[in-house]
Amino acid sequence: MGFFGLGGLVYVSVLLVNAIAILSEDRFLARIGWTNASDPGFGGGQDNGSVKAKMVNLVASVRTLMRIPLIIINTLIIFYELILG
Amino acid sequence: MQRPAHSNPPPAHSPPLHHPVPQHVSTVPQLRSPPPPVPQSQPQNTYGYSQQQQQGGGPGGGGGQGGYIHPAFGGIMSDPTAQMGFQVGKSAIMAGQEYMEQNLNRYVNVSALKHYFNVSNSYVVNKLYIVLVPWWHRPWSRQQRLSNNGQDGYYLPPREDINSPDMYIPMMALVTYILLSTLLAGLRGAFHPELLGLTATTAFAVVLLEILGLKLGTYLLSISSESQLLDLVAYSGYKFVGIILTLFLSEIVNRTRLGTGGGGTGGWFGWCVFLYVFSANAFFLLRSLRYVLLPDTSPNTGSAAASYTVARSQRNRRTQFLFIYSYVVQFVFMWLLSRQSADPKIGKA
Repeated sequence: MGFFGLGGLVYVSVLLVNAIAILSEDRFLARIGWTNASDPGFGGGQDNGSVKAKMVNLVASVRTLMRIPLIIINTLIIFYELILG
Repeated sequence: MQRPAHSNPPPAHSPPLHHPVPQHVSTVPQLRSPPPPVPQSQPQNTYGYSQQQQQGGGPGGGGGQGGYIHPAFGGIMSDPTAQMGFQVGKSAIMAGQEYMEQNLNRYVNVSALKHYFNVSNSYVVNKLYIVLVPWWHRPWSRQQRLSNNGQDGYYLPPREDINSPDMYIPMMALVTYILLSTLLAGLRGAFHPELLGLTATTAFAVVLLEILGLKLGTYLLSISSESQLLDLVAYSGYKFVGIILTLFLSEIVNRTRLGTGGGGTGGWFGWCVFLYVFSANAFFLLRSLRYVLLPDTSPNTGSAAASYTVARSQRNRRTQFLFIYSYVVQFVFMWLLSRQSADPKIGKA
């Protein structure tokens, strides 16, 4: 791989998505306030317009979507690194 | 088979030479298009041909074309089997092309791509001038035209509208950038064949990251952008023009002055050119993307309802995003692309 080859980019992106996926929801994200557990007695919809709500939505959707594919991708990369050096 | 045997000594008199007498008229079919038939019959012919084609008969389609081909090729191929073979081959090629077009149209929107390549020479020259010197260009909005069959307006192609983004300049600029930076590396003696692929993947990764950042920004700021993805790709490809200019000029100057080493952005001349080109590109992007990212400035395209729900803070945030994108992000990426590997000649001596 070259200095800024595509392989490095793939590694960086996989590591970042891993970092997003392993955050604990109730111990960390609820403390900061980055969850979507709004009051059920709200009456209407959630506040979906602000930047922070969209970020929270994005993080939550990335976590639920990428959990299982990340397992597969991580296993592949581990095999690649162990066997093929 | 008809040559005399070479092992015998050459006879005193020359033997009767046997020139091979051609048995078949095997002429190569001349590669010119058949003369166009009478115009009234042509659309009916092709329509009838495609009908027969879809019903699935290769020889049937070839037979349908037989009356059309005869007056054009009668003089060339007098052999009926060769003619039939030619017709079968031609219908097979047409079927293959149609199959490929159908499959390609599922993945790549070919007609949309054609809109971006509909450029003219004067458009290319004027657009390059605008990209490099955008300060004096006055109207920046793209022109629309309402189509006749009731759909909402579509944008004019680049041939008629100087503000419309095209894909011809960015693609040419990308290829030129890859070749130029590899050439400069070769001139410095630092060439290895992976450099071509490395530069190409770096450039593609930069474009990809830009588009991702832009899409992320539009999602986070709730900007409903009506422009297509290829527009954004085209806009992010315009900076390659400036990078080519930087590399080229700084290489020329650094060769003839023999003073400061290193091309690209080494030396003060390279930095000056780079800063000018970077600011020109940022201004160009600011003006062009204003109509993409800040849709509340467009008066009457049905967004009258949408403009009321945009708060003032959101508008400020969008403007900030546009500024940050145009200046900071572009600076990082342009610097990245103007980098070159170290000069191995300087390390000696």
